[in-house]
Amino acid sequence: MESHLLSWITFTPLIGMLAVLAAPRRAQTLIQLIALCATLVPLVLATILYFVAFDPGRADYQLVERVDWIRTIRAEYYVGIDGLSLSLVWLTTLLLFIAVPASFSVERAGKAYYALLLLLEVGIIGVFVSLDYFLFYVFWEVMLLPMYFLIGIWGGPRREYAAIKFFLYTLFGSVLMLVAIVALRLDAGTFSIPTLVELARAGRLTGANLPGGGELLGMSFGAWCFWFLFIGFAIKIPVAPLHTWLPDAHVEAPTPISVILAGILLKLGGYGLLRACFPILPAEFREYAFALGALGAFSIVYGAFVALGQTDFKRLIAYSSVSHMGFVLLGTAAMTEWGTSGAALQMFNHGTSSAALFLIVGVIYDRVHHRDLNAFGGISQVAPRYWAMSTIAFFSALGLPGFAGFVSEALTLIGAFQSSDPRFKLLVAISAIGLVIGAAYMLWAMQRVFLGRLDPKYAKLSDINLREVFSQAPLLFLCVVLGIFPFLVLDPMGPSVARLIGLLRGSP
Amino acid sequence: MNQAYFEGLRAVGPECVLTLAAFVVLVADLFFGARGARHAGWVAIAGLVATAAAILGGAQDAGVTVFAMVEVDGFARFFKLLMTAGTAAVVLLWMFDARRRRALPGEAFFLLLGALLGGFVIVGTNNALLFVLGFELLSLASYALAGFDKQRPASGEAAIKYIVFGSFATALMIYGISLLYGLTGTLDFTRMAAGDPGSGAPGLIAQLAQGDLPVALALILVLAGFAYKISLAPLHFWAPDVYEGSPTPVTTFLAVVSKVAGFGALLRFLAGLFVNDATAAAMTAYGTRFAMLLAILAAVTMTLGNLAALRQSGLKRLLAYSSIAHAGYAMIGVACLTETGFSSALVYVAVYALMNAGAFAVLIYYEGITGSDKIEQLRGLGWKTPWVGVAMAVLLVSLIGLPPTIGFYGKYRLFVEGWNADLGWLVLVAAINTLISLFYYFRVVKALFLAQPASIEVSRARVVATLAVGAALGTLVFGLWTRPLDQWVSSGLDLLRRG
Repeated sequence: MESHLLSWITFTPLIGMLAVLAAPRRAQTLIQLIALCATLVPLVLATILYFVAFDPGRADYQLVERVDWIRTIRAEYYVGIDGLSLSLVWLTTLLLFIAVPASFSVERAGKAYYALLLLLEVGIIGVFVSLDYFLFYVFWEVMLLPMYFLIGIWGGPRREYAAIKFFLYTLFGSVLMLVAIVALRLDAGTFSIPTLVELARAGRLTGANLPGGGELLGMSFGAWCFWFLFIGFAIKIPVAPLHTWLPDAHVEAPTPISVILAGILLKLGGYGLLRACFPILPAEFREYAFALGALGAFSIVYGAFVALGQTDFKRLIAYSSVSHMGFVLLGTAAMTEWGTSGAALQMFNHGTSSAALFLIVGVIYDRVHHRDLNAFGGISQVAPRYWAMSTIAFFSALGLPGFAGFVSEALTLIGAFQSSDPRFKLLVAISAIGLVIGAAYMLWAMQRVFLGRLDPKYAKLSDINLREVFSQAPLLFLCVVLGIFPFLVLDPMGPSVARLIGLLRGSP
Repeated sequence: MNQAYFEGLRAVGPECVLTLAAFVVLVADLFFGARGARHAGWVAIAGLVATAAAILGGAQDAGVTVFAMVEVDGFARFFKLLMTAGTAAVVLLWMFDARRRRALPGEAFFLLLGALLGGFVIVGTNNALLFVLGFELLSLASYALAGFDKQRPASGEAAIKYIVFGSFATALMIYGISLLYGLTGTLDFTRMAAGDPGSGAPGLIAQLAQGDLPVALALILVLAGFAYKISLAPLHFWAPDVYEGSPTPVTTFLAVVSKVAGFGALLRFLAGLFVNDATAAAMTAYGTRFAMLLAILAAVTMTLGNLAALRQSGLKRLLAYSSIAHAGYAMIGVACLTETGFSSALVYVAVYALMNAGAFAVLIYYEGITGSDKIEQLRGLGWKTPWVGVAMAVLLVSLIGLPPTIGFYGKYRLFVEGWNADLGWLVLVAAINTLISLFYYFRVVKALFLAQPASIEVSRARVVATLAVGAALGTLVFGLWTRPLDQWVSSGLDLLRRG
């Protein structure tokens, strides 16, 4: 059946963007309303996609749309969805919908702001649904510009520095990616990611069709393609030591943008690896699996230790992202079903919990205009509802059993432990340290903000308001529900994950 | 005889129309006087439109050689149309430049059309003699144009620098051509490889068998002339000073039209020597070595251009260095010395012209508001002039080479052909250069949008703004819908398909 559901989800925000631009500048309420509608429609469509249109029993791509686009270079408009991208598309539409009301408190956020936000959504969803590498790359870069402006114009005091740093880092990764994409295209004669994967499985993606066997600077075709793509995606995840743009970007970005950045943009890196790097170069992946796992473990521990030392609330959560996203790499590198499922679930769960945490920081920042952890204390006494909601997010993020974060982290670690490579057991042991420190910095941060003696200057602090509750409630709901019923996300991705592992292992 | 003569005349119709238009402009300017110079501008526009019509109308004359000198083919047509459109944009920019509106020099339009005629000649001939004539016509008119801001010393300085440097480079080139003539006994670039049987001269292939030093010397000298025209390192030194000193519309002409002409001529010259089927395998083998030289020039040019652009505080000089860097990118396609490589170069030249015409239009627009070209003067102006500001952002994104703009498509094509021609290292250099370029292009975006607007009177230069917005829209539309460009380029590649 021919369905254009994915195109609608992708491009509805674009229509919304044009509507926002056409709206009169002074009609702020109208602009906000349009933005709200333009993000609600994709959310509704994505929900239909998740529960109705998508067949969870299938491992292949569904709702595929395929049209010629640029004939000269044989690029296609080729979109489709499988279990891996399904949950992330839904999460994207949800977070963008949440980001709009969260933006109402951003100063000077007018037409341009909402237009850029909607353009950002087009780019993100586009990346998740693209099955053509050229299209993938176009959407990948479309995200950059709105993000640059959103941080650079509406950000904090050091916004210009943070914005250009973000841009330079990401562009560095993406030009390397582009070189690799060009090489893959020349070797395989196609941009289609499924075809590339098939060719790789048959062992026919070796650079043989390139002059000189595709060797570059003394590295074999597969090796440098792999590392170029890996660096491109790893910067986005971000994997330490390529993470240094992240704390700056997070700290300077306005709250809703931090939410999107942590909630989805980081997932693009992990998703990219799982969709467009590892399965295309599985032999190289197997060769470097341990190194990748070690990088993941390093990120977990390093991110946790650095987070422990932070006094800026937002910076702390930014580093916790580095730590949590390390699990994605570790779980995938293990090449076990539990590990990869855990990694995919971790992406979703980190998307909800970190987004909730950034919203929580935003709530207090809007009221007191600083984020110094040591200057808070006893907030729970004046804002009990705020405290209750924060607790859920904190507990999920630190991996307390019963909350979503626990399930995915446990799955990942168990999966890594099952790996056929015995050295992974060591990595699990190291990562466990990160987990303990994770609990430490989270609880400590919670204690410093909410418990202890109330500073009199915060005595008149208002509790969380309805708009803020509305933004956070869905995320916290997911943190709890997925802690108890993780299969809601795991089941639809199951067949696709199994297929992915087959591809990575190289077994038929 | 008369029959053939008139048919030939019809084939060079565009050149005839253009020449006529140039003189009509000159006379019209005398007639209208200094106060009616804008009328002369409109006459020039009308002449350019007629020229374009003549080019399009002459489509059936594809692939003929007229008077044994002028090639009328799709390749020439591609470049002629591009240059005509570029010149029309330059004339419009000059007519509506807020800073020059009061003292509009009508004779400048005559010179612009004259220079364009030179461009027409060099992209449409394989004859060395006619080529030199066209090259000089283009150069001489450009020298005069560079000095047109008579009240500004910098403009005169630019003209002098341009003359000195230009004469030097042209002299080298003519010397190289004389060597080529001596080696081969023919003035026809396409016959040089095999030699001219009529004169009994051996041709370059035979020369290469005896030793390649004379051939190398001749080719490198000729290349020097081209390198000067398209501002390749190490003959790019004139460009930043001349670009900065010249009146901005002239800078636009030099960066867009003059450079496009240079690329057209270079491609035709190289096609005649190395790529056409007429040349034997021996020539192709030598071509691979020559291509390495071109590739190194490309790498050096783009890197130098980008690194120098990093430190500029003036937008005009920044765009000058950026145009040097872009010449380096386009050279990737040229260095391939293959049909597909040339097609990617053609794509990039067209893309380059569009992006730069737009960027210079924005520069002229903002010069009209702030009275200078300093980037810091642009602070917050993007908010005050949202249309032009956003257009500039789009154009800069295209210049960086990010999707979904046409700059990305152009760069992508170059990368692919570079790889195919075993120039993977050059592609990597270009990729890293892209990253460097982001840094300086975004200083402009940063100034435009990331600062609060200053209180400054915003003038309404509607025509200039329209040109800028149109170019930006073009980079977006044709970046996503590339078929028109691809078809146009493919029609321009008949040069390589004729035996």
